[in-house]
Amino acid sequence: MSEGHDLWLRQIDAELDGELSLIEQAALAKHLASCSHCSGARASQLEVRVALARSAGNAHARVVPRPAIRGRALAFWVALALVAGGAAGWLAHSRWGGPGPGSLEDARAAIAVP
Amino acid sequence: MLAAAALLLALQAPGTRLTYRVAVVERIGAESNVLASGSVSGALDTDLRFALRTDSVDIEALFQVTAEEGGGADTVTLSAEFFTKRRLGRSRRGLPLWEQDSYRRVVRLAWSDTARIHPFGRPRPDAPRGLWIALVLERGFAGGEARPGEELRLVDPTIDLRLEAVVRPRRARVIFNLVRGDTVSAPVGMDLVPDAPPRRMQLVLAGRRTALEVGLARPEAAASARDRVLALDADVVCLRVGAAGAALPVGVLCGRLNNVARRLPLWAGDTLLATFVWPSAR
Repeated sequence: MSEGHDLWLRQIDAELDGELSLIEQAALAKHLASCSHCSGARASQLEVRVALARSAGNAHARVVPRPAIRGRALAFWVALALVAGGAAGWLAHSRWGGPGPGSLEDARAAIAVP
Repeated sequence: MLAAAALLLALQAPGTRLTYRVAVVERIGAESNVLASGSVSGALDTDLRFALRTDSVDIEALFQVTAEEGGGADTVTLSAEFFTKRRLGRSRRGLPLWEQDSYRRVVRLAWSDTARIHPFGRPRPDAPRGLWIALVLERGFAGGEARPGEELRLVDPTIDLRLEAVVRPRRARVIFNLVRGDTVSAPVGMDLVPDAPPRRMQLVLAGRRTALEVGLARPEAAASARDRVLALDADVVCLRVGAAGAALPVGVLCGRLNNVARRLPLWAGDTLLATFVWPSAR
């Protein structure tokens, strides 16, 4: 695939996202009329976006909804991961043990004389 | 120098007897209870092999008393070789995982003073409970008693405690027989001293005399760290057997002084039986 086609494919993406100016849209339409490869790619892109919109529950979407991660959801998942990790560590320690607290020297026998 | 020589003479005097008095003490709150007590005694070169086992910890130690140059006659150096195992948990296949450690502790104390041994490390001051071993070293006159002695009294029967006297034989009684087929020679007994020059002996089997040179040696150091630390081979001796006048030995027999006959093939179908036993007390 040539570099020119790559450029037009990016323009198709931008057009479907509604990011092209009128001049750029006109240039793309003129190219699509003469390039079967790019018009086919545009049709494929549209089909993919329709499928994504349908799976998101909005068959009549004008654009594909972009997934947005909200701060509260992010905090929830981070907290959940921390709790799950801690619980797994606690379970593993209670099941298989660990080196125990304190230094090795503290765990060794000591002799005290008066 | 003179003081050290005098101390050594005093400590090695045949009439002196060493006693390790041991008590296992548990403290719960302000109350202390003796869980077990006992003693091990013997000549001054007697060591104490100590073992305390719980579900999660095995503590084994060999205590030795040594007189050091420059020490006063009233003090003694106590050294302890520890070999411990702590249970850490279980493997993924359900088998117990143990942490093994060995180390040495040396302290100097006065005779009849009490050394307090904290087997699980020095306890925190605010710990609600603790366990320690009180060890007292005593010396006294043997009164003709040369054999080592052991005494153990378990107040709490659930405690797994062992106290053993470890004595390295200064000499060993070896009883020899020569065997060929169903014929056995008359026994010949000899008191042998480890690392002494070899001695000649003669065994008569069916009218034929067989002359041998026999000598006793200490075994090589044990390969296992636990065996070395706890001197588990303390009563093992090795007998070197050679034909009289020959430079090279015919073979070597190693074993404990436990009255078990050990066999060494010689030549012409003859087999030497050697039985190692403790010599009778003098």
